[in-house]
Amino acid sequence: MFHWLEKHPFFFAVGVFLAIAFAGLVEILPNFAQASRPVIGTAPYSTLELAGRQVYIKNSCNACHSQLIRPFKSETDRYGHYSLSGEYAYDRPFLWGSKRTGPDLMRVGNYRTTDWHENHMKDPTGVVPGSIMPAYNWMFTNNADINTAYAEQLTVAQFFSVPYNKPVPMKDGSTKIVKMGASVAEANADALAEAKVIAADMKDQNIKDAIARGEIPEIVAIIAYLNSLK
Amino acid sequence: MNIAELQAYGYFALTIFMVVILYSYIYHLYSKKKNADGCDYENYSNMALKDDVTDTPVSAISDDKEK
Amino acid sequence: MENRPLEYDYTVAKMFMLTTILTGIVGMLIGVILAFELAFPGINTILGDGLAEYTNFSRLRPLHTDAVIFGFTLSGVFATWYYVGQRVLKVSMAESGFLMFIGKLHFTLYVVGVIAVIVSLLAGVTTSKEYAEFEWPIDIAIVVVWVLWGMSIFGLIGIRREKSLYISVWYYIATFLGIAMLYLFNNMEIPTMLAASPAGETGFGAWYHSVSMYSGTNDALVQWWYGHNAVAFGFTVPIVAMIYYFLPKESGQAIYSYKLSLLSFWGLMFVYLWAGGHHLLFSTVPDWVQTMGSIFSVVLILPSWGSAINMLLTMKGEWQQVAASPLIKFMVLASTFYMFSTLEGPIQAIKSVNAIAHFTDWIVGHVHDGVLGWVGFMIMAALFHMAPRVFKRELYSKSLMATQFWIQTLGVVLYFTSMWIAGITQGMMWRAHDEFGNLAYSFIDTVTVLHPYYTIRGVGGLLYLVGFLMFAYNIYKTMTSGRRVEENELQSASPMGA
Repeated sequence: MFHWLEKHPFFFAVGVFLAIAFAGLVEILPNFAQASRPVIGTAPYSTLELAGRQVYIKNSCNACHSQLIRPFKSETDRYGHYSLSGEYAYDRPFLWGSKRTGPDLMRVGNYRTTDWHENHMKDPTGVVPGSIMPAYNWMFTNNADINTAYAEQLTVAQFFSVPYNKPVPMKDGSTKIVKMGASVAEANADALAEAKVIAADMKDQNIKDAIARGEIPEIVAIIAYLNSLK
Repeated sequence: MNIAELQAYGYFALTIFMVVILYSYIYHLYSKKKNADGCDYENYSNMALKDDVTDTPVSAISDDKEK
Repeated sequence: MENRPLEYDYTVAKMFMLTTILTGIVGMLIGVILAFELAFPGINTILGDGLAEYTNFSRLRPLHTDAVIFGFTLSGVFATWYYVGQRVLKVSMAESGFLMFIGKLHFTLYVVGVIAVIVSLLAGVTTSKEYAEFEWPIDIAIVVVWVLWGMSIFGLIGIRREKSLYISVWYYIATFLGIAMLYLFNNMEIPTMLAASPAGETGFGAWYHSVSMYSGTNDALVQWWYGHNAVAFGFTVPIVAMIYYFLPKESGQAIYSYKLSLLSFWGLMFVYLWAGGHHLLFSTVPDWVQTMGSIFSVVLILPSWGSAINMLLTMKGEWQQVAASPLIKFMVLASTFYMFSTLEGPIQAIKSVNAIAHFTDWIVGHVHDGVLGWVGFMIMAALFHMAPRVFKRELYSKSLMATQFWIQTLGVVLYFTSMWIAGITQGMMWRAHDEFGNLAYSFIDTVTVLHPYYTIRGVGGLLYLVGFLMFAYNIYKTMTSGRRVEENELQSASPMGA
């Protein structure tokens, strides 16, 4: 039997495939549905936050920052409550990262503010002496891509039933509705309204001017996203 | 019986099956000095050592056709 | 045609040798830049503030990993396949116009894909999933390239003269199947260009953008099932294919135990895929998956060492060859590094060790002693062995090879020792508490302490790059000005000039 297999490349290939596919079937499939259920208090991303998340991905922030707090005292002391599976229910893709060249950002919204991020992105060593993080000045001049973020919202709402425009339970018993625009224009207007709130806490005059012109710089979007990480 | 229990029995049966396959493969490899082509497994090393296009194959595919 | 003796046709192998060297230089150069950016952050803006976006660490980092994995390593795999495949199946590409066409098309599309990847990653077009950063248009191109390679493998097998498949061919087939399965499932994504707003608008937003089919924990599970096994089927399986051919051939020794090589093959195939969970220890994936990942990682030592020891024993009684030939040195050290990193990996996969090692530079060190020591050395050795045979010329300089060997070995040693110290130092500092139970160090303390190790690592990487440039020069000179050799000089040990 074995020898026969060794001389028939097609059946041999089938055998190899079975051997390698086996583990995936056993390990990954059984848990699929369970792991993707959101926990109470987890809401989908708004248009601006999603655009910020895309800026985060575009610049591979996940190459140096994790978003996964392990259940150790040293980690919960430093970053907050350890991560729960359901908190990631709306993360497509996941952004756990594999290397902490910089600190974890899973709950950065709890302890950093808009102006902290603004100063830090412009000049990291000015805020954290000794930091090896580079400055991200182009985020202050490039505009965020709200249309793509809106397209992504529509896609996840349609294919994965992400509850936009629907009440989502919060921890305090209340509900929250995350809005998704009915048209490209409305989505852009919503994002701009949210951006204005962020920009009000920022110092950079160019950012304020851009917002006044109706533009949303990348820095505003990414701060909206970072603030949402709680 | 729920799905987890079924899986558990399935895994156990499969593990036994795999062990049987593994040991019968080892037995197969080491018991036969010569295989159906009349050559030892160790001769297959020559597929790398004598690999010029003019060298005689260790077990030529044309042997089959001649039979 | 009938009057001319049949010869192996290495046209496609030569093409892929070229891209192996070019993408190797690019990938390693970016790696050295990245290493020094961590030690000296000023280098992030080395081309001025205007271009900072493209010289920045985070933008270049995926380019480094992908250039080395899908550029250097994959080119090396293809180059050796188009060489080894013909020889062990005893059939020439020249015998089939169709396979020749497929081979050339394979190369052309591969180059197009590489260029698309470089441009898109520099522009920041990425899905963020490690080693699967490409957006869907490039994914489709990669699938086409892969299918073409499959046609080439099975096409050549279809017209073979040798009935049984040599162990290297087994490993090449496994590479093909493994990557195909992993890549397809990990890159399941929905293009957002399909979206239509309630107002009826369509086709807005970036056309190349997509969203993953899996979310959160599931995405992580699939990604590291892929990520771990992309290493398996990109960095282990095809490299084992190479050493099973090139070491016996170069040394003239039959494999120590052919049976052991077969057993190790099935062992590796079955065990490797389970171990992906070790990337997710203490995360939110189910506990039993994490434990499985840990256990199977330790079991994985057996098939890995089965191959590595088999290769070292092949040299039994012939160790004078190691002293005499720099080419054998490369392969024996590669095999040794394979043993070393397949022992280190399982140690890191033990939960209590992983608690310290995860997220630190120790992991980076582990990857690099595997890739620089095992993959890099083996691919260079394979190309050194192939060069005299495809160009029909003597290797240009033996002494240059020997010098390169020692420079690169020193580079690898500096690299992994500094990363061990950096990783364990940082891991221990993160978890240190003072007498009152407060954290002993702020995060930045654990970063600034790494500066000397980052510098040493940069120097180690630079030495490796210098060695690689010597390799490229040596191959170039072999091609252009090596002494012409006759067929009978090419039986086993490669001819080398002074």
